[in-house]
Amino acid sequence: METLILEKTKDTPKVILDSHNNIFLFEYKSLPEDAMSFYKPILNWIELYSESPNKKTVFEFKLEYFNTSTTKQFAKLFLILEKLVPEYDVTIKWYYDKNDLDMKLAGERFNKLLKLNFEFVELN
Amino acid sequence: MDSKLKYSVSLFKAMLKDNLGYIYRGRFTRDISDNILSLTENNLSNQEDSSKMKKRVYLILVEGLQNITRHQDDTDNDSPYTYGMFVIQKTDDKYYITTGNLIYKQNINHIKELIDKINSLEKEELKLYYKKVLEEGTLSEKGGAGLGLIDMAKKSGNKLSYAFKDIDDKYSYFYLHTIPSLKDENVDPQDDKSLNNIVEIHKVLNEQDILMIFNGHFNQESFMHLLASVEGQLHGSAKDKKRMYYIIVEMLQNIVKHGYSPDDTGLGNQGIFFISESKGEYRVATGNYIKNDDIEQFKNKLTYINSIPKNELDKKYGENIFDFEIDDNKKSGLGIIDLRLKSGQKLQFYFDKINDDFSFITLQVIMKI
Repeated sequence: METLILEKTKDTPKVILDSHNNIFLFEYKSLPEDAMSFYKPILNWIELYSESPNKKTVFEFKLEYFNTSTTKQFAKLFLILEKLVPEYDVTIKWYYDKNDLDMKLAGERFNKLLKLNFEFVELN
Repeated sequence: MDSKLKYSVSLFKAMLKDNLGYIYRGRFTRDISDNILSLTENNLSNQEDSSKMKKRVYLILVEGLQNITRHQDDTDNDSPYTYGMFVIQKTDDKYYITTGNLIYKQNINHIKELIDKINSLEKEELKLYYKKVLEEGTLSEKGGAGLGLIDMAKKSGNKLSYAFKDIDDKYSYFYLHTIPSLKDENVDPQDDKSLNNIVEIHKVLNEQDILMIFNGHFNQESFMHLLASVEGQLHGSAKDKKRMYYIIVEMLQNIVKHGYSPDDTGLGNQGIFFISESKGEYRVATGNYIKNDDIEQFKNKLTYINSIPKNELDKKYGENIFDFEIDDNKKSGLGIIDLRLKSGQKLQFYFDKINDDFSFITLQVIMKI
């Protein structure tokens, strides 16, 4: 599968979706005006990936901020990944700054609402 | 109406008549200055002025911001009423640019004499004077101070006006104000009332602990500049700052997405935003136009979300995350709930009817810290 890499901009994250090297990463900020358009190709990629996923998949979220319209797109993303469980091993690694309890809470909320394995990592 | 909401509503009403208004009050850093410049530039390029005027305004801004940054550390006083201030306003045909900073009282006479001297010179004389000062370099201990003022006068094409306000035995507040002109009008600026207005506004900003006001066009770009300016501006704990940042993101993007622009310039939605930080609370208010046809629905939504008990808010949020019936590039069904969750308070709002087509909505969020 072709690797999808997006460099960060002032309001969108760096994205790496690389099935060969088994790296799936969202980093920096996600505050786009139109989150739906921004995440559309990303969701398409993941949809396609879910047809023949790696045995073990770890999605890393290292975000400083994201807006509520991004939340909605993440929900779609997680629902695609959720379908792979329990047949495949899927983990969401959720990073948060130790001062950012809202970021932690946002991850915990998803964890509570989904049948996905979340791992929380506190950053200093 | 809540007294604080009432205040915001009347502030917005007073500012709406201007095409552009931006006030920043606080510590100035290189980043903040850059953001102020970009934001103003973004709004300047949106207005139909001659490019010559735009350039002139821009150069004065650069000079003014440098002056504030250069002098803000002259004094050892660091309380909020000593914050530097930057103001740009635009009415139909005029720009007003004002900077404010704290100075030692003993420097007042020197500054007055310098500005009076600058104001007495004609264009060509001013150039010669600039050269002389540059060569001698003895005008002030700070070196830059004198040159900065002369430069500003040169770029403005108009006189400089000034005002001093007593702070205490040691300090005064120095206001420098100019109305750039392409015609070398040489209006005596001390006759102009616009500086008095600024001094009055500054008093209100101090009383209300307002850190920033922006009145202009909201698009994704100006949103990002505003956000960056606010980020460097907030005090308080890292935890509170983060949370406030989230609130500001949702409120500003709300204008970008849902606002409306009666002036129909296609440059973004017209709106106003201010943020204040006083002991124990942050306050953010936004104002924007809304079509009268949309009021009922929005009012119901706000009232409904305000009515949800705190312990059920999170549940409602969780439901809406996975409700893809509400999912387009404008709506997620999450923004308003998020504001309530993060602030821990009810949202305050007020609709003011402007005409048969649209109204102006003021939305205010208070966060206790």
